[in-house]
Amino acid sequence: MASENILVIGGGPTGMEAARGIADLGYKAILVEKRDRLGGTPDEAQYAALTPDLRNAEEAIGEMVAAVTDNPNVELLTGTTVTSSEGEVGNFKVKAVQNGSEIEIEAGAVIVATGFQHFDPGRETQKYGYYEHDDVVTLVDAEKLLKSGNFVRPSTGEKPKSVAFIQCVGSRDRQIGNEYCSKVCCGMSSKQAIEIRQHVPDCKVYIFYIDMRMYGYWENEIYWPAQEKYKVNYIKGMATEIIKKGDGLLVKGEDTTLRRPMEIPMDMVILAVGMEPSEGTKVVADIFGLPKNKYNFIETIGGPLNTVSTEKAGIFAAGACTGPADLEDSVSSAGAAAMKAISAIRKIGVPA
Amino acid sequence: MPIDKNQIIEKEKAVVDGIELTADWNRMFEQRVIFDYDTSALDKVTDVANAESMGWCYQCGNCVPVCPVDNVGEYGPRKIFRSLQLGVDLFTSDELWKCTSCAQCLRVCPKEVDMIKIMPAIREEAVLEGDVPEELQEAFTNTFEYGNPMGESQRKRADWVQNAGVEVPVMKDKKAADLLWFVECYPAYHNRGKEASVALAKILDKLQADYGILGTEEKCSCDSQRIAGEVGLFEEFAEENIKTFSKYKFNKILVTDPHALNGLRKEYPKYGGDYDVVHYTTYLAPLLDKLNLTRSLDIKVTFHDPCYLGRHNGEYAAPRNIINALPGVELIEMGRCKEQSYCCGGGGGGMWLDGFMADHVTERLSENRVKEAVETGADVLVVCCPYEVSRFEDAVKSTGNEGKLLVKDIAELIVEAMG
Repeated sequence: MASENILVIGGGPTGMEAARGIADLGYKAILVEKRDRLGGTPDEAQYAALTPDLRNAEEAIGEMVAAVTDNPNVELLTGTTVTSSEGEVGNFKVKAVQNGSEIEIEAGAVIVATGFQHFDPGRETQKYGYYEHDDVVTLVDAEKLLKSGNFVRPSTGEKPKSVAFIQCVGSRDRQIGNEYCSKVCCGMSSKQAIEIRQHVPDCKVYIFYIDMRMYGYWENEIYWPAQEKYKVNYIKGMATEIIKKGDGLLVKGEDTTLRRPMEIPMDMVILAVGMEPSEGTKVVADIFGLPKNKYNFIETIGGPLNTVSTEKAGIFAAGACTGPADLEDSVSSAGAAAMKAISAIRKIGVPA
Repeated sequence: MPIDKNQIIEKEKAVVDGIELTADWNRMFEQRVIFDYDTSALDKVTDVANAESMGWCYQCGNCVPVCPVDNVGEYGPRKIFRSLQLGVDLFTSDELWKCTSCAQCLRVCPKEVDMIKIMPAIREEAVLEGDVPEELQEAFTNTFEYGNPMGESQRKRADWVQNAGVEVPVMKDKKAADLLWFVECYPAYHNRGKEASVALAKILDKLQADYGILGTEEKCSCDSQRIAGEVGLFEEFAEENIKTFSKYKFNKILVTDPHALNGLRKEYPKYGGDYDVVHYTTYLAPLLDKLNLTRSLDIKVTFHDPCYLGRHNGEYAAPRNIINALPGVELIEMGRCKEQSYCCGGGGGGMWLDGFMADHVTERLSENRVKEAVETGADVLVVCCPYEVSRFEDAVKSTGNEGKLLVKDIAELIVEAMG
């Protein structure tokens, strides 16, 4: 028996937006999330403010959660992990485990929105000493500090006098295997640089970069204010390593425009870590037999004109499970996936 | 970038490429490693009102290739920004005085880093501290004491009219006129400037224009001194000139000097003097048919756009319309013309910094420009800014092009064509 329900896997911004769109169009979405609450990575990693508008993340994500909670057209299955799938478009039978017990979900189409994980700078490369130095943190750690409202050096609990961002950590790197640009880190770093200058006005903030990549309005909404209003110092050249010096850190790199080495003392270093496919993305891709690209993101087949269709008819992928994506990309592709999933059901003529 | 004395490594013996360096030469080693990005140097600049945009540079480098000083030396806003990031104190640096305010950089800057505002603002601070190149200070002092940067006597400001061969009316006698001709210092005192003034007087006479000059009542407009940092002097002179203007009735101010055009048009209104100010090329271009230009000159010319007429005040057409109306004159444009025009080096205080600049450039800007003019094959380099005649004539000589290229004011050519 064919089903016109649409299964959405992943309760982050992409999954929530897809489910909301499906519900708005009068279809039923079954939203599966392995954590016991919705919100995805912005919630789990405790983002303080969204990029680029610096809107309070809890409030913004909270609105997305509210839109799918107590929604008659959305069935919420939190604490639920998909384990297997069979069938085809119009008639998928998906097994899942919900809080220890197996359930079966029937759906006409599936949207995968299993997202990304932040690159772990201590895993692949030791050059920045992420695991050795308390004051070397990632964008994710810094986001938590900013959310706490008390931006301090982890080693001393005191406000830093100098902070350096190092861009492209775990991205654009053949050795690590992540050759792609993670797209969001330049904007995230600049956004956090603004917030640090707001929280700790006498702290000097530096961004060491290969090239700043803030496309579209991120240029004028983040990059320009960071430099012009908040006096963030952008230095062209990467930091190659961080060593301990006294109570602080010594950032070593090349100032490429001067063609000279630099060894700059810093109180704190923030590694601008990039995006990788989440474990959930890899597992779900395998469960549904979806081809992955060489970076283990789910491969979509439509090129730039169709960002959500996969090799399997009736299964769509949206958001950061298909590659580096910001929130704007994620919710846009969520809408596209919702529309295409409904189209897929209607085309096979499911009786109402 | 100046060398930080603390970072100099002095060696007892230094050998480079097999050559032993002796005396001071072996002290020219700088510490390689950068230990600090001292933001105070940049902050000190951007904290000054009107200099905020110095901090907006994202180092795209658009400005450097169009900077006329970088063409012959090492300069440009991006490089200044970079040196500020590295802690160089612009207020006491030679870098502060190399800008001619030609506005090439601003034309191409995506971030609108505005050297035309930054330079006067920072230079003003340096002037107040007395950190000014000696020759520039001399021009300031002359202006203050004599009313003109050359230190000529105020009583002789209208002496040029004796050679005009036509009557040159003075506002003091007329009280009212259609045009008040603001002659300015170089057209009043400099030998070649005076010849251009005589030519313009002849043209105005032929047009039967209702005009008058201020004669010995006129004082320097001081716009170049303002850009060079003497803002106090500019304010004083602006107020004084405005007071003089207020004694007479006139419809328009006619100016010979594009720098005066800029000052009177854009800055004097801030001090209560709001006038309709027109450059003589703009004024003359529509009136040429009244001049009976019948004598064929049979020459090829090229034209140099003054920075302060073109980029600063948007007038590119009028001088070209005049040249094209002259019988037997073929205009060959230089590659760098109109908006892209090169700079003669005289603006923004450059007129009074030739000795200083010689230490920083491989050739003068005027020499670089004259070479380009010679390449066109033109007989005459036509100018319409009084700074240029002397600068380019010197450059024709120093580049060994004497006899190949004449430099003439556009008014002189008009008079020649009047027959």
